[in-house]
Amino acid sequence: MSKRTGANATSPIVAKAVDLVKTYGDTDSQVTALNHVSVDFRRGELTAIMGPSGSGKSTLMHCMAGLDVPSSGQVFVEDLEVSSMNQKQLTQLRRKEIGFIFQSFNLVPTLTAEENILLPLQIAHRPVDREWFRKVVGVVGLENRLDHRPSQLSGGQQQRVACARALMERPSVIFADEPTGNLDSRSSREVLEFLRTSVRDYGQSIVMVTHDPRAASFADRVLVLADGSITQDMDHPTYDDILAVFAEHDDPDNGPVSVESADAKEA
Amino acid sequence: MFRIGLRDTKAHFRRFIMSIIAIALGVAFVVGSFCFREMLNDQVAQMMGSNSDADVYVRGATEEKQEPGGSVTSYNSTYTEISTSIIPDIENVDGVTSADATMQLGNAVLLDHNGDALTTVGAPTLVIGVDQDDPWRSAHFVSGEYPQTDDEIALLEDTADKAGLKTGDTAKLIVDGEAREMTVSGVFTSPSTQLGAILILARPSFVQHVLQEEGEDTSSIQFIGVYGSKTTPLDEEAQQQLADRINKALPKSADAHAVTGDSVRDDATKSIQDQLGFIQPLILIFAAIALFVGAFIIANTFTMIVRESMRGYALLRSVGASPAQVFASVLIQAVILGIVGSGIGVLLGWGLLEAIAKGMSSGGMPLSGSPAPSATDVIIGVIVGVVVTIIGATLPAKTAATAPPIQAMNETVNPEKPVKARGWIGIVMVALGAAFWVLCYLGAAKRVDWQWLKDLGSGWTLGLGAAFVVIGAIVCAPAFVAPAAKVLGWIPSKMFPVTGKLATRNIGRAKRRTANTAAALFIGVAIVSCLGVVASSMKTSVNNLVDNNVNADYVAMSASMTQPISTKAVDAIEDTKGVGASSAVYMLPTVKATNAEKDVMTAAIKTDLLTELAPVGQQDGDAAKAIDDGEAAVGRTIADDEHWKVGDVIDLESENTSVDEEATKQASEAYQKQAEAQAKTLQQEAQQLAASGDVSGAQSKAKEAENVVKQAQNVDPKQFVKMKTETKTEQVRIGAIIDDSLYADSIFISVPTAEKITSKDMMMVTQMYVQAEPGANVEQLGKDLKKTVKPFYTVSVLTRDEFKSSMSSMINSMLAIIYALLALSIVIAIFGIVNTLALNVSERTKEIGLLRAIGTSNGQVRGMLAIEAVILSVFGTIVGIVVGVAAGVVIRAAYESQGMTTLTIPWDQLVLFLIVAILVGLVASISPARRALKQPVLDAVASE
Ligand SMILES: Nc1ncnc2c1ncn2[C@@H]1O[C@H](COP(=O)(O)OP(=O)(O)OP(=O)(O)O)[C@@H](O)[C@H]1O
Ligand SMILES: [Mg+2]
Repeated sequence: MSKRTGANATSPIVAKAVDLVKTYGDTDSQVTALNHVSVDFRRGELTAIMGPSGSGKSTLMHCMAGLDVPSSGQVFVEDLEVSSMNQKQLTQLRRKEIGFIFQSFNLVPTLTAEENILLPLQIAHRPVDREWFRKVVGVVGLENRLDHRPSQLSGGQQQRVACARALMERPSVIFADEPTGNLDSRSSREVLEFLRTSVRDYGQSIVMVTHDPRAASFADRVLVLADGSITQDMDHPTYDDILAVFAEHDDPDNGPVSVESADAKEA
Repeated sequence: MFRIGLRDTKAHFRRFIMSIIAIALGVAFVVGSFCFREMLNDQVAQMMGSNSDADVYVRGATEEKQEPGGSVTSYNSTYTEISTSIIPDIENVDGVTSADATMQLGNAVLLDHNGDALTTVGAPTLVIGVDQDDPWRSAHFVSGEYPQTDDEIALLEDTADKAGLKTGDTAKLIVDGEAREMTVSGVFTSPSTQLGAILILARPSFVQHVLQEEGEDTSSIQFIGVYGSKTTPLDEEAQQQLADRINKALPKSADAHAVTGDSVRDDATKSIQDQLGFIQPLILIFAAIALFVGAFIIANTFTMIVRESMRGYALLRSVGASPAQVFASVLIQAVILGIVGSGIGVLLGWGLLEAIAKGMSSGGMPLSGSPAPSATDVIIGVIVGVVVTIIGATLPAKTAATAPPIQAMNETVNPEKPVKARGWIGIVMVALGAAFWVLCYLGAAKRVDWQWLKDLGSGWTLGLGAAFVVIGAIVCAPAFVAPAAKVLGWIPSKMFPVTGKLATRNIGRAKRRTANTAAALFIGVAIVSCLGVVASSMKTSVNNLVDNNVNADYVAMSASMTQPISTKAVDAIEDTKGVGASSAVYMLPTVKATNAEKDVMTAAIKTDLLTELAPVGQQDGDAAKAIDDGEAAVGRTIADDEHWKVGDVIDLESENTSVDEEATKQASEAYQKQAEAQAKTLQQEAQQLAASGDVSGAQSKAKEAENVVKQAQNVDPKQFVKMKTETKTEQVRIGAIIDDSLYADSIFISVPTAEKITSKDMMMVTQMYVQAEPGANVEQLGKDLKKTVKPFYTVSVLTRDEFKSSMSSMINSMLAIIYALLALSIVIAIFGIVNTLALNVSERTKEIGLLRAIGTSNGQVRGMLAIEAVILSVFGTIVGIVVGVAAGVVIRAAYESQGMTTLTIPWDQLVLFLIVAILVGLVASISPARRALKQPVLDAVASE
């Protein structure tokens, strides 16, 4: 199935959710993680998704990437309906259209950094563009770490390898769920820089979940999710704009920082 | 804690199925082996009870020294023989109903109603000399009665059924190479099923006569059986009293001693049971494999469960459960598992034996009694099962109880304990084992001449070597897992770049686990490869021997193992039209080389054998000429063993028992004289009575006298046969030493030379080689020969190919049993691989989820696991093949002098093993892969 028709390639929308609903549990103890969410993600942009813990950010990510099936509504990536795909089609989708970066455990422990980066291409039996590989590795700054195993890399380095891996296959869109969640601010900034560079210089589309307003300030666009609905849609907000939004909505107890530490424990 | 353990067991039950199967199989083997031994013992005891059923036995009073290393396995050979002349003395003792020296013929063949020889699988054919006067108490006639004349026989019911004969029928019995027509006088049963033996009752005089014809001394015997009653056995006490009375009555000169029947039966039963004792350890080897895998599967399963429940355990601990309590909650599951598994195992073992018993019955070997396991068997089985389970579960339970929860989360990152030390220890052990094998080889190939090595014997060096190599290989295997994975993974990595690489790397992650999993396969494959090499070497050696060394067109062999080819048959074959060179091989069982250290066989042959039929290749001197000149030719092995050279002299000695014509005539004459004298006295008395006017008295006396005369005329002359034993010696010069392996282990002399010390009756022809006359039609000769041997029933004529395959088929049927056991160990090994993969998959849930999230297809995941499994099973198989083949090579070398001249490695079989290993791996990977793919990608990625 040919994915990118001429019209699509130039379409400004790379992925979209239409009236997305996701509920968990049975009728008497139902949790609505996504409540009729409709959103477009634009091509060539770094979109950040923010929101308090339990607001449905990860759920949205998973539904968008075809890792989870929505209760109702549709998900499109490059005009292909993800929400109705079978296993085979999903595999093809993951190989060609979608990259994914998790909060942790992104790398296969038995493979070196280089092998991890090239893994998606090899799985898909696609040729390796060496030029692109050097460029990506250069951007991530891992030139002399390529033959190290993940266990020999720091957390930040591991996440950068994961980013390089996602970028290597040049998917239509990369979804990243708290890619810097486990990192200190320095490593975190390295990774964010890298994501922004790849958007700015190479036209990559990225959707990223984050709790960190500073991380969000790297983005072209910031969406705020609360109780399964999008409450804010900000274009190129500054760090202060973002802080302002959160100051309005959240009491300090449920602030981003405490949520993050709770997350780390659970993981 | 108990309740938690119980609940967890329920929750994990599906997980436990594989462990239960493994434990059940192991326990089934253990219980089965015990039951099997008991079943055999029962049979033996029962057979003893019915076949040696005398109340008292009289045997020699002096114990005979058994020859060390002699092949005297018979249980009753430890006392001197006693003379049958004491029977009347015993019969006169108060309370004795009958006393007999029961004689048997072991080499008769019964023909069934179609005229075909009745054969058995291993069970003997026995003609037993009993009749109305010397009865066998355990025989109960269902029809007819004991044989009344020498032309009658009675048959065991089972035998009669097999032969399709019934009372009144005419049967053919082949004794001493001659077919005799016999009438079936009756059909009887005995309390024991006789394990398929063919039992024929004939009159004692008939049996005695045949034995005498065969040169057997019938005047002395091992045992005289005494009955105190013809119908009911005496109890122990009565037996003892009777024995005491007999002992009092026995003359000192008889050198005899009476003992109770029970004591003789007990001794005999025990010694036979000891001989059969080897079967159980053989079964136990496979039980050990099953239990090893079982313990290992359990360890894996519990590791998996503990890993998955780590949080639960951490929680339990945090609410105040002590490590001991957590430990107990895991161990309780193991105990339940062990009990369930061994319970099933006991039933399985029992069922297995019932099946074996059924199979044996339908195979013509009926067993009496039930093979049900005894209480002890059940207890042993359950204990073994539970202990093995606990051993398997202990380590994971300890982890659950003591490991900090955080460690469980990072398991994939946790480095394994290094395996280098183990590697070195294992290598040293393998080297040690190899050294033993080299010693064995050197000793066998006569490269070194060390006395201590000879004393140790090749069995020990072989066995120790095997033990060290096998255990060493298991110990060092983990160190070789990673390199092996690299080598074995090379092909799959080329074929499937990504999955191959991932699989290869995965194999090296849990080295111990991988190595242990492979070990189960390793042992099974090693045993079978070793036997494969030995068997195929045996086959090719025989074939080569026949192809290269034997020129004979036909070989005549006896179809029955026990009966030699009669001299009449030999003559008939020689006289068949078209026969050129021919030679029978006459074994001389009575001839001993008295100046040899070991027992050496002597055979008489015609020189045709050495020149035409199986020409000698290499030799010192000229064997044919030597034998013609009345000298001996000696095989190289013997010459080396005894340090004999050409020109040395061998002292041959033969103890010959034959009918003493002189004494027999004297005895007969003495009897006649006595009868005449008696008749004369009676006649005189009659005359006196007549003179005194008592006419009727005179008449009756005269009649008595007449009777005495008549009786004397009709008396069976066999009754007076006296035997004599003569020892003849002959010094024979060694004229040649033959190198060919065909002749390696005997002394050969000519028939005339042999006749100097023994008679033709005492020679046993086991084989006869025949070549067609030049110009004669070989095929026609074959047909003629078959016609010639027809009347001898038990002689078969084989072509060269038939001769070769007759050897192979024996080997093949032996191998079949081994292969059946291998199949079982493969099944167990598959369980091991499935289980290890399942554990691997469970540990790598997240990783597999990640792979799938970035686009790995289901097929690729399956492929990755399949490659892992295949590498694992091929690893075990290859190590097994290497060790097994090495062992086979050494065994072959050790037994080279016994005829295993050619080493053949059955490559096709080994390749087959590898293919099976690949299939095993593929099959084993199916279920773990299904489990890995069942989990949604998201859950897998999000799992702890
Ligand atoms: N597998 C599940 N079963 C039941 N409820 C779930 C499941 N996964 C998520 N939820 C619920 O759905 C809601 C949204 O969860 P989600 O993980 O999307 O939140 P999030 O915004 O990513 O939070 P966080 O910032 O803590 O990661 C939550 O209320 C959560 O309890
Ligand atoms: Mg989340």
